[in-house]
Amino acid sequence: MRLKFCFLFLLALTACSAQVQTQANRPDSLNFPDLEFEFPQVAHLTLANGIEVYLREDHDLPLVEVTAMVGGGSVFDPPDMTGLSDLFVEGLQTGGAGAYSSEQLEENLDNMAADLAVSSSDYAYTINMSMRRQDLEQGAAILADILREPGFDPQRIEVARQGLIEGVRRRNDDPGAIAGRTLSQTIYKNHPLGRVPKKNTLENIQREDLLRLHQTYFQPNNLSLAVSGDIDLEVLKVLLGQIFEGWEASELPNLEPPALPEMPQNGGISIADKDIPQTTIMLGQPGIDKNNPDVMTLKVANFILGGGGFNSRMMREIRSNQGLAYSVYSYFQIGRVLPELFIAKCETKCGSTLEVVGMMRAEMQAMIDLPVSDKELTTAKESLINSFVFAFTNSHSIVTRQQRLDFYAYPVDYMQTYRQKIAAVTTEDVQRVAKQYLRPDQLQIVLVGRKNEFEQDPGAALGMPVENVDLGLE
Amino acid sequence: MRSICLLLGLLALFGQPLYAAQLAERVHEERLENGLTLLMLERRDAPTVSAYISFRVGGANEGAHNRGIAHLLEHMLFKGTKTLGTSDYAAEKPLLGQIESVGSRIDLLKNNPAADQAELETLRERLTELQQQHKEYVVKDEFSRIYAENGGVGFNAFTSKDQTTYLISLPANKLELWAAIESDRLQNAVLREFYTEREVVREERRRSYESNPGGMLYEALIANAYTVHPYRNPVIGWDSDIANLSLAEARDFFKRYYRPVNMVITLVGDFDSEKAKALVTKYFSAIPSGTPVPRVIDLEPAQRGEKRITVNFEAEPDLSIAFHKPAMPHQDDYSADLLTDILAGGATSRLYKRLVVEEQLASSVHIYGAPGSRYDNLLVIGATPRHPHTVAEVEAAIYAELDRLKSEPVSAQELQRARNRLVTDNLRQMRTNNGLARLLSSYAAIGSWRYLTDYAEKIEAVDASGLLAFANRYFSANNRTVAVLQREVK
Repeated sequence: MRLKFCFLFLLALTACSAQVQTQANRPDSLNFPDLEFEFPQVAHLTLANGIEVYLREDHDLPLVEVTAMVGGGSVFDPPDMTGLSDLFVEGLQTGGAGAYSSEQLEENLDNMAADLAVSSSDYAYTINMSMRRQDLEQGAAILADILREPGFDPQRIEVARQGLIEGVRRRNDDPGAIAGRTLSQTIYKNHPLGRVPKKNTLENIQREDLLRLHQTYFQPNNLSLAVSGDIDLEVLKVLLGQIFEGWEASELPNLEPPALPEMPQNGGISIADKDIPQTTIMLGQPGIDKNNPDVMTLKVANFILGGGGFNSRMMREIRSNQGLAYSVYSYFQIGRVLPELFIAKCETKCGSTLEVVGMMRAEMQAMIDLPVSDKELTTAKESLINSFVFAFTNSHSIVTRQQRLDFYAYPVDYMQTYRQKIAAVTTEDVQRVAKQYLRPDQLQIVLVGRKNEFEQDPGAALGMPVENVDLGLE
Repeated sequence: MRSICLLLGLLALFGQPLYAAQLAERVHEERLENGLTLLMLERRDAPTVSAYISFRVGGANEGAHNRGIAHLLEHMLFKGTKTLGTSDYAAEKPLLGQIESVGSRIDLLKNNPAADQAELETLRERLTELQQQHKEYVVKDEFSRIYAENGGVGFNAFTSKDQTTYLISLPANKLELWAAIESDRLQNAVLREFYTEREVVREERRRSYESNPGGMLYEALIANAYTVHPYRNPVIGWDSDIANLSLAEARDFFKRYYRPVNMVITLVGDFDSEKAKALVTKYFSAIPSGTPVPRVIDLEPAQRGEKRITVNFEAEPDLSIAFHKPAMPHQDDYSADLLTDILAGGATSRLYKRLVVEEQLASSVHIYGAPGSRYDNLLVIGATPRHPHTVAEVEAAIYAELDRLKSEPVSAQELQRARNRLVTDNLRQMRTNNGLARLLSSYAAIGSWRYLTDYAEKIEAVDASGLLAFANRYFSANNRTVAVLQREVK
């Protein structure tokens, strides 16, 4: 049996991701040689029609992987067609392309043992294709067909639409999904970042809308390709010349996302009363974007607060000291374009819900009120700096990272200066950003679980207005 | 088009075993005198190492008295040693003894309705008091801190039916740190903060199974598919199992099974094998070899009729069907892999095409082997019905496809496609040090890592008549367990 590693079979220690003694024979008193590390090189070229190409050669296995990234994404979906991007990527994945019907295309890919995965995010569409070296030419030709001439087979669009509608029916099955969706809606309101597809918005979408979307965004000068694996630059150049011949640059679409609405100033509680023995707790507030000057300091601060696994305060107190949870963590979503959220999440038995909410908020408040210890700061900084080398262990991650950094216009020295910036963070910096960015009194708090088992009435206990989340089927 | 693809497919098979042969040459396998197995594979792309330690023991090796102990012990082994995780072990030790004595007295009384409630209350207060005192000596999560400060990532562990694995990836210059910490953990582990960790595991259970429809259906399916074999029990344990696990059981399991003779170390990455071997020898060779984990002797009797169960849960309907089958390296297990791909592997697979695309009865189908790999196991087919279609319609369509496999041999092209996809999928998992280490470690713990290098050849030997025979042998009503999750019908 091929071993598959999924959560159902494996029980891992953690769901996501102190003091030093001076004593002989401690493992951390060993001396280590210096680490020799050089930034791996990524070849970069721009084709005449504007396609940006990145290549990282890796000849260890006879495989080639390509990620095509196209500007666009769900942030541009019209309100009455929320879910357009979801249906669009399903259409690209299953609807045939070029001279191939849907069925022929799928057959070709399966015969080659190729993997094709099309996805959409807020600001981009991504097509990922992994193939054997020997299938490179045929695989690349298929990828070009999907990019240039998707078929959008009407029957398959219908299948995809019905599948997405089924997903809407099932969106209240998983407590984590309810919590995430509710939090986004509470903060972003009717902005695309907060909207979710409904049956009627999916039914509003016509095949012409998919074609128009394709026509608008899928232009060579709005496309980049990240390639890794058993292929060299000269071969790649020739191949790209063939598959993209005659594809000319055209007018670029507007990639300015709709402005965010005014962010909520007051805290609030949303309760989804669901018949399960454990409450999913999600706390959120408006956060930052990638151009924020405090990004690196916030990385360090959040490591200490809830991002550093067992080295974070939330995990140490709520899980390790109190046994009240298996998973607890916090993070700043670093908005690539628009600012996104600070989020903290935990699950605990329904009878300790408010106790844990209180502890999570208290840990946020403690970051504001008191400077972190030197030891905590050291652990956070050393961890972020010394684990930096793991950004470069996977050829395809190396090349797609470069692709994304360029797409989102990160500073050219982002990676080169990362460790220095982390190293420069001080205790005072951490407290300053905690004061500036953490708002434990203004959180949007989402609770999904058996309401009648909560220890107290949440509204009264937290002094915040309560809204009930409707979990009925649409 | 088809003929061209077929030709490419055949070429592929000449290519794949070549890589398999390279892999066989590149893995250095060593056996220390105390029985410890060491696998090393040098890969110089990035200055990192992935280090796995697998023990050939897991949930299947438990009985009714200690269900869940393999997993709880795994958690406990993150609590430190006599030097790590404590400010003064000599002073801490008596306190640990008192905590255990009060804790086990509570466990004894708490399940007895006739117990003196006042005594129980007093004991609980005493335990809280002792735990509070103990905190003074605890240096929290030191393994985690030391590894993190040294740039370690993915410090974790997992427990399955057949094995328990501890893993970390480190910058290449920190290999000795790993050897020092892990050998200390094996020889000097202190199982502190036990009663708190038991509660953490109960939360883990609530999260993964009791609040999660997929987890709940899976657990019910497995628990009902087996009558005798311990594969029926959830690795995490049932809630009352966890709540009553004892420190004595944890210690016993640790001392009995965490021994070199049951242990595989796998290193993949940027190191010199000779030096790495010397390092492992230096740190691990003092550990006494121990005795092998005994084979589970419970034999699941042949099933004599369909088993069917309903799970009421607040979620949309879901369906899982399990068929008993032999485990690897039985020939039929390779047939099961091929049928897995043919039935629900890709966009052209039979169940996907029929249920999702053509008849649109389901929004997705999936298929997998479970719950373990060392003893006879299950092939599980799951599907998500698409409203307004019912579980019954989906189930009938699945059986119609399975019946087709019993009478019509699969085409040569379909078979070849499945072979190519299985072999290529294995390759994809080898791209990172961590992925390759995980594969080698897991196969070595269950049987042999050479399973990987022989794989292409083995599945090449399965032909259409073999698959037809498999379908007739195993896809019968007598041999299946059907689990349906639905909202309660009131």
